[in-house]
Amino acid sequence: MEGSELAAFQIISAVGTARSCYIEAIQKAKQGNFSEAEKMIGTGDDAFNEGHAAHTGLLQEEASGSEKGINLLIVHAEDQLMSAEGFKIIALEFIDVYKKLVH
Amino acid sequence: MKKIVLLCASGMSTSMLVKKMEEAAKKLAYECEIAAYPTSEAKTKAADADIILLGPQVRFSLPQIREVCPNSLVEAVDMRIYGRMDGKAVLEFAKEKLGE
Repeated sequence: MEGSELAAFQIISAVGTARSCYIEAIQKAKQGNFSEAEKMIGTGDDAFNEGHAAHTGLLQEEASGSEKGINLLIVHAEDQLMSAEGFKIIALEFIDVYKKLVH
Repeated sequence: MKKIVLLCASGMSTSMLVKKMEEAAKKLAYECEIAAYPTSEAKTKAADADIILLGPQVRFSLPQIREVCPNSLVEAVDMRIYGRMDGKAVLEFAKEKLGE
């Protein structure tokens, strides 16, 4: 598989995992399990950072002039990355709300 | 013949994986039907699957998919294997879960 295609899949997989972790953190908080929720956020962050690192690699390649062009797959990787980032912000707020509900 | 269904958010990354899995199945001479759908079509398209595999982006919906497809095994694909689009590894994972 070609380099940038593989990078796109690695990004999609890593930030997709992060997205799921953040959503699962909300589910844990909903069940009242706040320590598990916090752990899930941490696991999500680790996965996100892996994806982010792969993404930075692509940005550097583009900056050094090796024009690979935009395709649907890389667009999908970008949208998953931003989605994961957004879900983390929302997850942290939701966890706070669930904490308030039990106290 | 087992039916393996892959689910993800849009069906984009999983359709590539289906191709890789079909190649691997051919090499192993393992007969199976493999298809990919978005999670929104789980009830209509995946309910008759022997095993449903979730991409990492939709792993969080595992409990719902299990509810909606009670006759299928539902598992999440490991992040690294998915990221490498390792069709062989995903197929072996499915076979292991199916007890084959």
